[in-house]
Amino acid sequence: MILPLAHVGHYLWILYVLPVLIVVFSIVKTTISEKRAAREEERD
Amino acid sequence: MIFLPLAHALVTRQDLPIPAWLFAWAASIVLIVSFFALSVAWRTPRFEKERWRPLGAGLSRLLIGAPAQALCGAIGVFLLGVAIYCGLHGTSAPDRNFAVTFLFITCWLGFPLFSVLLGNVFQLFSPWRAIGRAVGGGFSRIAGQRPAHLAYPEALGRWPAAIGLLAFVWLEVVYGASGGVAVGLSPHVSGVAALVYSAYTLVMMVLFGVEEWCERGEVFSVYFGMLSQLSPFGVKDGRLGRRRPMSAATHWATIPGSVAVVIASIASTSFDGAQEGAFKAGIESLFNRFVDAGLGLATSLRLSSTIFMALTFGGVALVYLLGVRGMRTVRGAPSLKTLRIGFAHTLIPIAFAYLVAHYFSLFVFQEQAQFTYLLSDPLGTATTDLFGTASSGVNFNIISANTIWYVQVAALVVGHVAGLTLAHDRALVYWPNYRQATRSQYWMLAVMVAFTCFGLYLLSVTGG
Repeated sequence: MILPLAHVGHYLWILYVLPVLIVVFSIVKTTISEKRAAREEERD
Repeated sequence: MIFLPLAHALVTRQDLPIPAWLFAWAASIVLIVSFFALSVAWRTPRFEKERWRPLGAGLSRLLIGAPAQALCGAIGVFLLGVAIYCGLHGTSAPDRNFAVTFLFITCWLGFPLFSVLLGNVFQLFSPWRAIGRAVGGGFSRIAGQRPAHLAYPEALGRWPAAIGLLAFVWLEVVYGASGGVAVGLSPHVSGVAALVYSAYTLVMMVLFGVEEWCERGEVFSVYFGMLSQLSPFGVKDGRLGRRRPMSAATHWATIPGSVAVVIASIASTSFDGAQEGAFKAGIESLFNRFVDAGLGLATSLRLSSTIFMALTFGGVALVYLLGVRGMRTVRGAPSLKTLRIGFAHTLIPIAFAYLVAHYFSLFVFQEQAQFTYLLSDPLGTATTDLFGTASSGVNFNIISANTIWYVQVAALVVGHVAGLTLAHDRALVYWPNYRQATRSQYWMLAVMVAFTCFGLYLLSVTGG
């Protein structure tokens, strides 16, 4: 069986986008949790 | 047993010990670590003041005094004249004609390097400034008064320079794209373009004044001047001095249109890198559509490349504006306009890093040609051998592919860490609380990681 991976190189860009996505995801997550913490602090 | 035909699937041009994409991951980690190091150790702004200290008066006079300015200006005028003459009367082969390499490689890539290292050296060598000042000085002597000029429209700012920068790169990489040689633009077109640009510049200097036009509208003065803001040397009140590196950049972007200049410089380099790699399939697809619609081959190619160049400019601007928009979400943030202008200078080291990364090898190879056979036989007609080097060639083994790659990666990483540092420093001005300042820079970190990974991707696809 031969998997059709000869053109997998065309999708190499995904490996370059991943670090950006990880950083953006972390920023969104951190921002949301910080805002939630600030709201709770204000409520208390 | 499953046979995976991966032999040619993930190849890159370099024989690297690890895959090229891993460098993007490593560079991202360096940026993230730098970000956290800055947030811990850098709690007050340090770049807002230049800490300018004058160098010796004698040295200042020697390097930037009137005789030095006259001599350097005369050299600039002479070399521009030689380039125009060679372009108009030399061989039509771009790689054998002095004009193309001199204008598009020696000057276009050499001045940025010297500007970052030594300060605004182009100001001394600018042929248009030299002519403008000489004519202005002559007028003052004859008329007994200084020439009067129109008031430069404040709103126009540096927009003429931004548009001119894109136009210059368009001429080189879109209009002149012919494949096979470093710069495919015909020498004749280069010569005519230099003549037309000289006439335009001199008219603008007459209208608005030499220094005013050089500060805002003259493409090369603005572009090289922007990069010289990173330099540890600068001139104040006619005196040469030392300053904190990169500190001068903090006040550079206050003139309208400056953001467009720095974005244009990153976008034009990115497009040049992507044209033969990442964007190739897209450009070809658009090209085929235009051809099918009945347009000529050259028009279709130029139109499709122009659209991609505009998209690159839009893409770079969008990433930057998203970063700025992200900062607005932090409590106590100034207006969007203030942030957009206030952080523009953080892109200057990135513009320089992109330039080094994309053109380092081209510069090293073509300068061998510039200082050997192009200098001895500037017309490229094999009729002169001024310095006995007309038969020399370019040694492509002078640097290995891996060395080129490491220089490219290092340039991108250092440039982006510098950008991140400038951004963090500026954030401390807008948010004196360092925790808030750090929070505001999350999005700039994303911008820097995005530019780094994009730059490395372009290089990995095209090999620079």
